[in-house]
Amino acid sequence: SRRKRARARHKPCELRELEVSVSELGLGYESDETVLFRYCSGTCEAAVRSYDLSLKSMRSRRKIRKEKIRARPCCRPLAYDDDVSFLDAYNRYYTVNELSAKECGCV
Amino acid sequence: GMDPATTSKSNHCLDAAKACNLNDNCKRLRSGYISTCSRELSATEPCSRRKCHKALRQFFDRVPGEFTFRLLFCSCKDPACAERRRQTIVPACSYESKDKPNCLDLRGACRADHLCRSRLADFHTNCQATFQSLTSCPGDNFQACLGSYAGLIGFDITPNYVDASTTSITISPWCSCKGSGNMEEECEKFLRDFTENPCLRNAIQAFGNGTDVNLAPKN
Repeated sequence: SRRKRARARHKPCELRELEVSVSELGLGYESDETVLFRYCSGTCEAAVRSYDLSLKSMRSRRKIRKEKIRARPCCRPLAYDDDVSFLDAYNRYYTVNELSAKECGCV
Repeated sequence: GMDPATTSKSNHCLDAAKACNLNDNCKRLRSGYISTCSRELSATEPCSRRKCHKALRQFFDRVPGEFTFRLLFCSCKDPACAERRRQTIVPACSYESKDKPNCLDLRGACRADHLCRSRLADFHTNCQATFQSLTSCPGDNFQACLGSYAGLIGFDITPNYVDASTTSITISPWCSCKGSGNMEEECEKFLRDFTENPCLRNAIQAFGNGTDVNLAPKN
């Protein structure tokens, strides 16, 4: 239902996971091996800091104008998972690092 | 989970890799040996075999058989699957070398290491072909034979599938009996314990077919 979807969208920042094939990662590897892709998702409303409020205020007072700034926290990985290795369709092994999130936070 | 639909892309060896990748411990230690065994050192040295063997021993020592056996002994109907099975131990680094040593020299090198010596003794005990049981294995114990086989990986005597054949499974350490002199017969006998061993072959096939109830991971 729509209400359920709305609630799901407003979950706080947390780690989620998907089972995907290596080819689906879009990194240019051709392999049917399945890996666990963990990512960060959710809102950061509860993590607004005095920093963010003040930054917004500076912007509205036009004390900051041309710079690219972000006045709200963002749900991102704080740490990344261990390396992942796989055999590709041409029987070559590859190892990819920092593929998956291990811990998420509002930064 | 259930078996995925039988498409050309799915095979038991690919399923085994998936099961390992979805388990944090298996994934970590598998990546550990794969990255070590496929790391090129220089133009003359494709990898550090010593480090590769160590990482392989850690994988087979620390990851439960429900994952490692599935990777090693998955059953195959097509060559792509069988090649994946052959590639499990990263043979270019852990198995093959420029020249093939004599099998008795290799056995001597193994016996000089106390752990390799005891693992080889286990293999001979648990995979010794016998006419006294239906399965050709001592006490019909497939699991003991497969465990002893896996226990040899990462030592001088590391065994592997010799090719990607789906119809006949041939296992061998990387050695031959050329240059055995008057020990030729002894050498052939030692080599046949790998290449023509009905107990080992039956144990691998039973695992792949899921006919060994104690071993087949049913989830």
